[in-house]
Order: sequence, then structure tokens, then C-alpha cells
Amino acid sequence: MGDRRANRTGPARGLATAALGLCLLFGITPCDAANNCAWINEATASGLLGGDAVGSFTEAAAEQPAVCTFVNRGEAATHTLRITVESISDAHARLATLAQACGTDQAALPAIGNEALVCAADDRKGGLGERVLGRVRDQVFTITISSTLKRDPMLTREEMKARIYTAAEQVSGNLF
Amino acid sequence: MKKKAALVAMMSLLMGYGAVGRAAQAPAATQPPSPLAYTPPPKGTPPAVDTPAQREALAALKAKAVQRSEEERKAHNSMVTPTYNFRYGKGNPYTPGNIQVQGEGFIQPGAFPTAEYCAVCHQEAYSQWRQALHSNAFRTPFYRTSVNLLIRDKTRGIAFARHCDSCHNPIGVLGGALTEDSKVDRAKFDSDGLTCMTCHSVLKLNLTNGNAGVEMGVPSVIVDENGNRIPGQVPFEQILRHPERHSQAVMHDFLHTPEFCAACHKANLPDTLNDYKFIRAFTAYDEWQQSKFSQRNPLTFYTADFTTCQGCHMKRNPNALPDYGAKNGTFASHRWLAGNTAVPFYYGFDEQLSKTIAFLRAGNYLNVDIFAIKKAASDKLIAPLGTASYSLAPNDTVEAFVVIQNKNIGHSLIPEVRDLYEAWVEFTVKDAEGKEIYHSGFLKPDGMLDPRAHSFTNRPVTDTGEFVDNHKVWTIQSVAYDNSVQAGRSVLVRYQFRMPAEARGAVTVTARVNYRHLRQSYLNNIFGKDHPAYPVVEIASRSRVLKIGENTPEAAEPGDNPDWMRWNNLGIALLDQFQYQESIDAFSEVIKLRPLYADAYTNVGLTEIVWEKYSSARRAIRRALSLDPNNARALYYDGLLQRREGNTEQEIADFRKVVEMFPQSRDARRELGITYYQQNDNPAALEQFEALQQIDPDDLTAHYNLSILYRRMGKPKEAAEQQSMFVDKKADPGAPTYSLNYLREHPEISTESIPWHLHSDMESNAGGPQNGR
Repeated sequence: MGDRRANRTGPARGLATAALGLCLLFGITPCDAANNCAWINEATASGLLGGDAVGSFTEAAAEQPAVCTFVNRGEAATHTLRITVESISDAHARLATLAQACGTDQAALPAIGNEALVCAADDRKGGLGERVLGRVRDQVFTITISSTLKRDPMLTREEMKARIYTAAEQVSGNLF
Repeated sequence: MKKKAALVAMMSLLMGYGAVGRAAQAPAATQPPSPLAYTPPPKGTPPAVDTPAQREALAALKAKAVQRSEEERKAHNSMVTPTYNFRYGKGNPYTPGNIQVQGEGFIQPGAFPTAEYCAVCHQEAYSQWRQALHSNAFRTPFYRTSVNLLIRDKTRGIAFARHCDSCHNPIGVLGGALTEDSKVDRAKFDSDGLTCMTCHSVLKLNLTNGNAGVEMGVPSVIVDENGNRIPGQVPFEQILRHPERHSQAVMHDFLHTPEFCAACHKANLPDTLNDYKFIRAFTAYDEWQQSKFSQRNPLTFYTADFTTCQGCHMKRNPNALPDYGAKNGTFASHRWLAGNTAVPFYYGFDEQLSKTIAFLRAGNYLNVDIFAIKKAASDKLIAPLGTASYSLAPNDTVEAFVVIQNKNIGHSLIPEVRDLYEAWVEFTVKDAEGKEIYHSGFLKPDGMLDPRAHSFTNRPVTDTGEFVDNHKVWTIQSVAYDNSVQAGRSVLVRYQFRMPAEARGAVTVTARVNYRHLRQSYLNNIFGKDHPAYPVVEIASRSRVLKIGENTPEAAEPGDNPDWMRWNNLGIALLDQFQYQESIDAFSEVIKLRPLYADAYTNVGLTEIVWEKYSSARRAIRRALSLDPNNARALYYDGLLQRREGNTEQEIADFRKVVEMFPQSRDARRELGITYYQQNDNPAALEQFEALQQIDPDDLTAHYNLSILYRRMGKPKEAAEQQSMFVDKKADPGAPTYSLNYLREHPEISTESIPWHLHSDMESNAGGPQNGR
């Protein structure tokens, strides 16, 4: 396992640091802060999830990647977009490890980061999901779009594949 | 039936999440939607005449479209404006970019009809555009890595990125997306960069200042019967019924002009970006304007038919897919083929990649000429090779003269972002068995170019003399060297090698110009070092066999220049390398071969002017004018010589004649303005300098003199503006120091910064090879 470190730069890091300070002040852990995901903004995430989404961000910690989560709670289904990012010295190997969990139903995703693949990420409770695993230089990212509804009329499997590609393009673009 | 098909296509585009669904498609999927059934009316058919009911329906559609557009724009502004970073004041929301949009405030991204909407009728255009640079102007790693550095920089931030995104992602800029905590859904436009309705919504060009100097209209694909624009997407049946109204909305004459391309293919780094001063970034437009293809510059060495940017980069081809914009089965290419192989390579756009490579190789753009050799201990130039006879022996030390002519590119080699692109000369000498004797311009195992290769690139540096390796353009304060070759000019590259002692038979020397998009170290910045090798394209090459023993004349190859032109190109190259006597000698050889060619005498004359040998310059220019009395080029140099002699009347007559023949000649306008100024003819001087400023808004002489002239005329405000622009644009006299700091640290590069230099594998005084391996 390589070294992991917080993966934010510039203004995003400043915001996150301020948020962390407030969290520590009020003794809340883990610390979530909306609207400061460095890799995709809330408006874009809302568009991908089909309605207003609420975002939260968790800084990277020891052995844990940074995480952005956006949730759109509808009447029929809850849609979630989850992004993780970690910096690691042997990112290619890390990606290969993560890909094992994808099973055999995975496909290379062209022109996303240095390398990327996509696979299904359905949950045991009957929800539908798609996942992208990818890498930009030494940063490994995962993106998952999911719906709690198996036969979601809005987020069909095909629609999820299309949307996760857009999400992957946004995330990898911001990681370059 | 037709109406139903149109409706179905329209609904599929407008319903649900069409825009993002489109943006989400994998990049290789370039299939446009199914086309509508439509038969264009025969040529000459007058426009359809609407019935009162149709007019009424269109009026209702327009009213609804206008209302919807205005309401959506208002709502968008209410959402974006409160948290937008107006770093440059409320009145300059898009600064440091020059882009503007009509109407109040930001424009909602949804106001731009999507490329898929256009694709229904323009399938050829869509499929080409999807693989082209314009559609990928924003999303590529090559761009994102640069702009992300600007956004993340502690002293800058996302507001500064409006400078770059005004051209790379104008919908984002105009939509107010470039701010911290953006409220704008970026999925709707990031993937499309410059989409159809960015170019086709431009209504006005703001001079040729570049940095996206355009005024965007509210996007509209049709006008009503009175020419009023109807915003947004409309049912296709309206367009199919009135294609002439569609053309009126989206096609403007300026789209066919180089001035339109100049909006983004000309860029500067303004003080609002770098907190320093105006620095010219690149200007393919000005390079074209000064080239033979513009027919605006009388001083070019050669002439050509008028050709615009579009003439090379948007050639008409038979269309493979249905496109209702095609004329006689051909369509102006929306691939904009040029030099970028990196983007199609990354996205797997194989067709775009192969066409780009074919474009780079096909155009007779460069001429590579192994023109001459010199043997050690002899000043005799054996030239031109192929015509001259000579002998060679083992152990001979040979100096090869390679002349590379930028023959048919309408701009420099390399153009634009030449700190990232890479073109270089690869020179090899091999014995009869193919064994390498000398090699310059090789790629090392790590993909890096031989640092001593002759490359047509530049080295921008910071104020501490560091090479700006990663395109942090706001840190650039000087350029350590710039070895690009301007349109129509030539460069001489000299290589020295020793024939092997055991050499028998012959050696083969080869010079080739290679191109790679992008430099290896920049690719490493983007991807880390573990990326695939990016394509290296050989643009042009030439080999010659040098025999041990006697060499006799041989037949020219089909691509070879005639001997007079070969000498002429050598003269041009030597002139640019400050070798004036040798340059005059070369031009004199042209005179021997073409004694009635006026330009040959002019070339001798202009070299002597530069060399300050005015008497002999006069003789040469007079001879040129005796052969061709209306030769604008000779008249221009005659004007300069008349000035030195104090023959003001003739000086004015010469320059006036040049201006009459070439009204957009910046050099003639400038000199005529100076002449009038010196004669205290202020109105006439003003006319010339104002005209000059229209041709080149950055001309320093125009700024300086207009500042004085306006002050004399009692226009202090205009005078102050010109003075301010002069001060801002004039080169910082301290900046060359930064270049020297860099060159001192990089001896392998500093040789390249000297125009007259030699590439050699011989031992230098300090020991070790001077160049090559």
C-alpha cells in the first residue's frame, strides 16, 4: 500500500480547512461540508441525479480517501452520486486492486484520465448502480451513481452509463 | 408525415435529460441522430411565401420564444449573480477575456441550441465537429491541466481562467460558471467546447485584438420575415420551410474571413492576467496577414493566390453523410485539420488522426533541401548539391547546409502555442551498410528530444529565468529564444560530421522535419511518465547520397525547388542569420540564373539596407525598378533610400504608390505616416497611423505617434489612451535579463539561441561533442 494524502489544492483546500476548523470547534466528526466538492459542483451533480441534490464532503484521512456524496431524495427513489479520491504512489496497482471488486462485467472507459473502467454496482437491497474506477496520474478515483429503485424510470441502466461518463469526465478533468 | 418526423425528432431532443444524455456519450460514439426527410428545392427557387395563418403561427412562436428566453435568462442571473466573483468590476464580468454577449447579464447555457439539434440536418458537420479540436476545446487533459494550474494557483484562481475559457469554453464564461462555488450545471456544455451555436451566434467582431474579441448574440437559428431573430431551438419544419431565414440567422459573411479566426487564434497576456504587462502570446492571424497568402503585404519574398485560414483548414470535400448545408455534394470541412494529433490520439478518433497526419504530410508545406556541403579547411561552398560536382575522401570533415523553407504554410512553423508543440530537424548520416555515423534530433528512450536538436520552438521564461515548462502563461516575462520560421522564410541548419576512415562507397545524409503534439515533458506534466508514446509525424524530408570519390550532377526529385529558388532560400536564411555578405552572394547567384527577375535585385538591395550599405543598395533597387517599375516591394525599399537622401517628394510618391497597391500594408502605412509626421503634415500622418491601427491594433509606432498627434489636436483623452497602450505593449527593457539567466544555466539550449550556429559531433575545445551523438 502506498502513501495516501489529502487530495485537495488551492481554494478548495482553504475552504475545507476552514470547515474542518469549525467542525473541530463544535466537536463534530466526521466532518461534512456541503458545496465544496473540488471535483464536481452541486448543480452538475443535481443535473446528473435528476433533481436537487444535497452534497457533502469528507476530507481524506489516514488510509481513507476523500469523499464527495450527493443525494437526491425523490418520492419514489433516492439517487446518489459518490466520488472518492485518493493519492497513492502506485496508483496503477491500486486501480487494479479496486477493479477486482468489479468482477468480470467491466469495460474499459476510453479517454477518461490516464485509464478508467466502468462496471455495474448494484446493491444487495435491489438498488441499481454503475461505477467508474479511474486514475489521473497518482490519483485514484471512484465514482458511483445509484438508485434505490431497481426499475427506475429515470435512471435506467443505459441512462446511468451515459451519466456516469459525464461525471467521470467532470471528475477526471478537475483532477488533471 | 414530414411534420410528424420533425416533431418526433424535436421531442426526443427537448424531453427529459437530452442535453446531458448527449454529453454523456462515449467520445468515440459520433453517430448523429437520424436525419429528417427533406429534399432541398431546386436552385433558384424563390423563398416560400407564408399564408396569413403561417405568419400568425410564427409570430406566436416568436413571442413565446422571446418570453421564455428572457424569463430563463432573468432566472439564471438571479441564481448566478449574487455569488459571482466580479473581480474586475460589475461591468467586466468576463475579463481577462474580451468576449461580450448582447442583452443584460449572463446568458443561460440552455439558450444555446445543442449540437445534436443541429445534427439532425447537418450530419456531416456534426460527425466532423465531434472529432475536431473545436468540440474538444475544453475537456481534453491537455487543456485542463493548464487551466487547472491557473485555477489552483494561490495568486490567481478561477476568475482568471476566463482569459482562457473565453475561447475554450465560451458558454461557461458567458453563463457565469467561472466563479468559486459555481451554481451552473457544467455537464450541459463542458463536453462540447466550441459548439455549433457559439461560432454561429457571433454577431460582431471587435477589431482583431484576439482573446475572444467577439460579441455573441442571443443564439437563434431563424429570423422572422422582418429579419428579427427568434431565440432558441425552433421546430425543424420552420427551418425546412425557410432555409433562407435559417441562413440569415446563423451564417454571416465574416465567418468566411481570417478576421473571424483571429478572435481566438490571436492571443495576448494582459496585465489583468499577469499583473505585469501586455505580452504577445501568439498571433497566427498577423502571421497570415504578413504572408504571401493574404496579398496584403508587398514585402513577401514570394507570391501566391489569396488564401484564407478557411481555405486551408476548411477545405470543401464531398460529404459522406447527409447534410442540408452541402453545396453540389460538397461541404466545408468542420474538422479544421491542422497539427493536433494529441486529441484524436487520446480520444481514439482514428479518422481525425489519420486525416490530420495526411494533412500534415500532404500540403507541400515545407521544402527540405540538403543544399550544400563545405569541406574542412576550405571556404568553398559546394552548391547546389545535385548540380555541382565534387569529390569526397575518407576522414573528410564535412559541413552540410540544410535549408528548410516554410514554403506554403500561411503562418509560422510552429504556430501558436509553440512552447508546447514540437517540430525539429532530424539529421542522419549513414554508411552504405546503414550504420549510423551521425545523428542529431533523435528521441531518447524516455521520449525526450535530443536537447541539442534544431527545433522550431521557443523557450518562455519567468522573471527568475526558469523555463515555463507547464504553460503557466501568467508567469511568462521573457522569451529566451524563438526559433520558429515565419511564413515564406527559410532557415539554414548546419551540421558537421567526419567521414569514417574506413568509408567505402557512399554515405546517405537525410534531413527530415518531425512534428510531435506535444513536447514529451509537457505530456509528462499531464499524465505522469507512464503514458503511451504520442505520434511523431514526419512532415517533410530529403536524402542525398555522398559518394567517396567523384560526385557528378544528378536529376532533381519531383519535390525539389529549382536551383534559383534554392539559392534564394539560402539568401533569405543567411539574411535572417545576419550573414549579410554570404546572403548577398547567394542572391547574386539568383541573378546569374534569372537576370530579369526584379526581386533578386531587391533582395540584394534590402540586405544591403539592413547592412547599412546604402550606395550599393540604391544600385540594386534601381535595377529592380528598371526591370519592373511598379514593383511595390522595390518601391518600398526605394522609399526608405529616398528618405536617407532627403528626397522627400520621391519618398512620399514611393510609399503612396505602395499604399495604393497594398492598402493593408502595415509597413507602407507606417513609413508613410512617419514621412508625413516628419513633414509636420499632421492630418496626413494621422490618416496613415489610424489606418495602420486598424490593420494592426498593437502597432507600437501607431500608438506612439497617435498619442502625440491627438495631443496636438486637443484630444487629451485619446492621447492618454494611446500613450497608455504604448507603455503597456512596449517590451520591458529588463526582460532580456531573465532570458540570459536561463541561457546561462542551459548551455545546450544557448547555442540554439544564436542564429548562426553549428551542430557537430566533433570534439569541442572543452572536450566532448558539441552536438548530436
